Amino acid sequence: MSAEEEENAAELKIGDEFLKAKCLMNCEVSLILEHKYEQMQQMAEDPMNQMSQVFEKSLQYVKRFSRYKNPDSVRQVREILSRYQLAEFELCVLGNLCPETAEEAIAMVPSIKNRGRELDEEAIDKMLNDLSLVKKFE
Amino acid sequence: MQLHPRHFGRDLRDKLVSKLMKDVEGTCSGRHGFIVAITGIENVGKGLIRDGTGFVTFPIKYQCVVFRPFKGEILEAVVTMVNKMGFFAEAGPVQIFVSNHLIPDDMEFQSGDMPNYTTSDGSVKIQKDSEVRLKIIGTRVDATEIFCIGTIKDDFLGVISDPNATA
Repeated sequence: MSAEEEENAAELKIGDEFLKAKCLMNCEVSLILEHKYEQMQQMAEDPMNQMSQVFEKSLQYVKRFSRYKNPDSVRQVREILSRYQLAEFELCVLGNLCPETAEEAIAMVPSIKNRGRELDEEAIDKMLNDLSLVKKFE
Repeated sequence: MQLHPRHFGRDLRDKLVSKLMKDVEGTCSGRHGFIVAITGIENVGKGLIRDGTGFVTFPIKYQCVVFRPFKGEILEAVVTMVNKMGFFAEAGPVQIFVSNHLIPDDMEFQSGDMPNYTTSDGSVKIQKDSEVRLKIIGTRVDATEIFCIGTIKDDFLGVISDPNATA
């Protein structure tokens, strides 16, 4: 229970289980859920009935907030972000929120600043710049 | 690993999987959050017959997509209701409440048929269907849903788009 109390995403305290788990960005979840939705449509004659409310709401949500729509750019985004030794969780928050400046990125994900990695503002700026290029050429 | 009861049948594995999906998808637990969708079955273990009932319990290992908001996490949500106490927003299945103490002081509540929070110069407005970026500061989990308290009183938080501006 004590681990629960200390949970704080800003310091990357999200529990061992979630640190190890693969974390997905909204746009990735959107791809998975859409795929599953199509499958369900083929299988059942009443896909609406099959779907749980949670599934439906999640699908709507990730669709609304996906920054990258096509599967190729989603892959590129993950590829770019994974060059920077980010934790899964940090990677996803950055991919989801698409901050524009290094300052914003640090405000969103304070943990990228500590942990003693060689991630200075310059590197962060470069990373964000690469991301916005993906977006531009989508 | 999840234990899972099942009656009889010959196409057992398929039935198990579909029952697992039916039972587990859409549920919610404190540790893992919402189970949104099952994406793969890793293995189905040996069944164990329960004494007296004839039910069989199978251990099933599966992969799934879960949604779990963390304290301190920043995410985007859609405003669903605004009142003088604050506003409610939704991020997928998760409900988030932002109290008026956690809305910047320069934003005032305006009642009317479209209640909203507006800055004094009217440049920023939070109303139903606005998209906001907020920080989770507290979570409460019950059996079927997760409820969060959020704040928009911090740098880089607040409205990202309002429905009128895009129209």
